[in-house]
Amino acid sequence: MSQEASSLHYVQIDEKRCVGCVLCMKACPTKAIRVRDLKVAQIVGTCVDCGECIRVCPHGAVRAITTRSDYLAPAPHMIISASPVLYSQFGQDVMPEEIQAAMHRTFEYVFDQTYFLDLYNVALEIYIKENRCREGAVKPLISPVCPVVNRLIAYRFPALLKNISPILTPREIAARELKRRIEKDDLLSSSDYGVYHITPCSAKMISIKNPMFLKTSYLDGAIGINDVFDSIKRNLPGPEEESMISPSNSLAIGWGISGGEIASMDEGNYLAVSGLPETIRYLEKIEMGLFSDIEYFEFRACLEGCIGGPLTVADRYEAKRTVTKISRMFFHDKRIRYAQAERAYKKGWFFSERRQGPVVHLVEKSGIIHAIERQEKIEKILSSLPGKACGFCGSPDCRSFAEDVADGNARLESCIMRRS
Amino acid sequence: MAHLTKTYPIKARDYLKAGEVSMEIHGLMKKIGFDSDLIRRVSICAYEAEMNVVMHGGDGVLNVEIGSESINLNVKDSGPGIEDIGLAMQEGFSTATEEARQMGFGAGMGLPNIKKNSDRLEIISDKGMGTEVRVGFTV
Repeated sequence: MSQEASSLHYVQIDEKRCVGCVLCMKACPTKAIRVRDLKVAQIVGTCVDCGECIRVCPHGAVRAITTRSDYLAPAPHMIISASPVLYSQFGQDVMPEEIQAAMHRTFEYVFDQTYFLDLYNVALEIYIKENRCREGAVKPLISPVCPVVNRLIAYRFPALLKNISPILTPREIAARELKRRIEKDDLLSSSDYGVYHITPCSAKMISIKNPMFLKTSYLDGAIGINDVFDSIKRNLPGPEEESMISPSNSLAIGWGISGGEIASMDEGNYLAVSGLPETIRYLEKIEMGLFSDIEYFEFRACLEGCIGGPLTVADRYEAKRTVTKISRMFFHDKRIRYAQAERAYKKGWFFSERRQGPVVHLVEKSGIIHAIERQEKIEKILSSLPGKACGFCGSPDCRSFAEDVADGNARLESCIMRRS
Repeated sequence: MAHLTKTYPIKARDYLKAGEVSMEIHGLMKKIGFDSDLIRRVSICAYEAEMNVVMHGGDGVLNVEIGSESINLNVKDSGPGIEDIGLAMQEGFSTATEEARQMGFGAGMGLPNIKKNSDRLEIISDKGMGTEVRVGFTV
């Protein structure tokens, strides 16, 4: 399937490989997958590109659409910026500078993002401090970094869109700055190059192609870590070779772990939550008005943070150990000129563009009446269902099945366990 | 007039499940597509009423009536009842047990919070006869 055909989501099911088991349907946290007549899985609902289906599919039938590094070079020159998660993938004996050296051998241009993680943190600290004394401040603030969480909020918790911090994500700040420098020094003409992000994340592509808080992304594409892992590994320097470039500090190296974003911040009431089910539970509570004492939530859809992303190679717990061990070898302080960062902050350099205010779904009164009638119908159907959530009908649980039947998308007879 | 009625049992002192009923009502109202401010107000009231049963009541039931014109919560329990309703309506007044307080509940804000977030509130209770809380909202 072409990339154009999949503008809504960048996770796709290969119908030839799918055997119609219900594993992905059961795993989907937004209940967006159906397996009608146990034939093939289809994404029918609001997919947030979290990639849980990619993880659980035993047949390799689900994959994330990314910019492939090996073919389809979309621009003559590819400039690579990598997620700090890359440093966690090669085990605890491979140093970040060795990975950087390998990157420089593998790609024509490589750009280290870690400095921008520090800059981002400075801006975030200032913003949170300002939020403490802002009249009618939104609380709690929510991190804008995880594209899956952003989409989840837009689809299921639109009232919380206003809570997402307006600071531009580090990957976008980095790409913007890189492009500015290239243009300033007239290094390449703009049609000749693209900036591509090496990422653990199945939702990075949609956040680039269809960004929520920017008109257009400064990035041009995303490449899965699993796609380039072998090439980078082959290019790692041997034991006798010296490699001297090094990333900025331990904070940046640890950024990909859950809690990594808030690790460097001043004292304050911050909380890091990872994993989509937990994130959903917290968002539900925030929407109910709880947690107003927390200033900032770092939500990551992947368990343990971005190191647990679906496009990684290393096991998330091994990756966590690697990062924890390696980061101890680096300085703990940010390497930032604070005064300069503060000046940039005041000029608005760090802020994203809100394309529109929070999306408010106003339903007309007639719509409400209709929706209540639909809900009544759903409850009635539900009461005749066994509540076993077996999945045989092709819907992930009895409530989803009742909704599908009420909407005319499934037949009640598909339930083999129905109480008559 | 379209309206949807649901009844949920609430178990006293079941702190593990406390809050689930109000979250379910929250989810239901979201699916229907009510205004988010109304959903928030109903959820807060349902949560406070649910917590009151968990903390003070014997077992109870929460009945919710969702209509296109109004939403009504009716929460009944077989607990000890409220001796002085006027006093219970005061912010900070609480008869919560040590157990409830240790878990961060029982700050004496429950009923005042319901009052603040609802359009209609009626409490029928007396010592020894259990409590019925009726909360109403105009859509």
